[in-house]
Amino acid sequence: MESRQAPDPVSPPGPDLDQLLTLVGRGDQAAFETVYDRTAAAVFGLVLRVLRDAAQSEEVAQEALLEVWRTAGRFDPERGSASAWVMTIAHRRAVDRVRSEQAAADREARVASAAPPPPGDEVAEAVESSLEAERVRRCLDGLSGPQRESIVLAYYSGFTYPQVATQLGLALGTVKSRIRDGLSRLRDCLGVGQ
Amino acid sequence: MRIPRFLALGDLPWRSRHSLAGPYALDALAPAERARFERHLPGCAACQAEVRDFAAVAATLGLAAATAPPPSLKGRVLADVGALDAARSDDAAIAAVLSAADALIASAATSAGGTATVVASRSGRSVVFTSAGLPVLPSSSVYELWFIGSAGVRAAGLVPSPAAGAPGITVPVLASGLTGDDAVGVTVEPAGGTTAPTTTPIVVLTLH
Repeated sequence: MESRQAPDPVSPPGPDLDQLLTLVGRGDQAAFETVYDRTAAAVFGLVLRVLRDAAQSEEVAQEALLEVWRTAGRFDPERGSASAWVMTIAHRRAVDRVRSEQAAADREARVASAAPPPPGDEVAEAVESSLEAERVRRCLDGLSGPQRESIVLAYYSGFTYPQVATQLGLALGTVKSRIRDGLSRLRDCLGVGQ
Repeated sequence: MRIPRFLALGDLPWRSRHSLAGPYALDALAPAERARFERHLPGCAACQAEVRDFAAVAATLGLAAATAPPPSLKGRVLADVGALDAARSDDAAIAAVLSAADALIASAATSAGGTATVVASRSGRSVVFTSAGLPVLPSSSVYELWFIGSAGVRAAGLVPSPAAGAPGITVPVLASGLTGDDAVGVTVEPAGGTTAPTTTPIVVLTLH
């Protein structure tokens, strides 16, 4: 799935990430180094966003990048872009860490006891000053408040959708449809997929 | 009888499953529900398309959070990759010896205790050595392998120290360079090994 409106930021000119992953799948360490150079900031930044702890995030980013090395042979371009594949690995590792933490329950209680975070702040924290971040910010701003809150809590904070429902005081079905509707609008706004 | 959750929610089943594509793409399903949705996915082309699109959206949200990692991360990741790669090629070479058409096995008790075993492939010019019950050596000493034959006595590699306690198995070690009528011997040498044996072998395994 290539972006139609903007170049994929982790696939600059040169061999594209798809081709590099194919090489990595055959054990090409030089190709892996290039993959690292193109994806490490995206992987680390996402993990850091979810875990909010630099030391843990380094560890989890390292695990995620090693998983890229070990499983590159299973990457299937038919099922999505190379950058989406890498980010899926990174995000899953990050949420697995969040949910396996002994402190997960405390963290949940802490967040649940506070008022839902103002979505503006969450979003502001999530984005950097890159063009990509600007585009994402603009598209998130185009969502309804509840759509944005549901997606931000699920994706950037690593909560399951039932946890999101609890925090926002909404029915499960409502959160599911807000996530789905919000993602559909983001897809159109970002020009990815389809 | 268990009441399916979708009935409890008042949703139609297909609708309930389909609408999980969003939370699934955000990794926002609990493990059991994730597994259920992944079983549903292969038979649902609409869900697959939706998951693909939503995963692309999620990835873009992720890219927006990009932050340069500390420079030291790169060295650690590349070092791990190098180590994994070395282990993988060793594993592949060991598997090749064990599955060779001419693989033969030799095993004998050693004079130090325990049992030494090699699987050898003359066509692959390699042996895989393993052992059980060898005494744990002080850190100043090491078990060293030798090819012994009419081509001379050649160092064939070091054996990592056995795990303490019974059965004290050593991990399989690949040694390459087997020729002609070579047997495989084991000696105890100073840590780091030597280029020629300095002690009497604790075992010599002949291959035929």
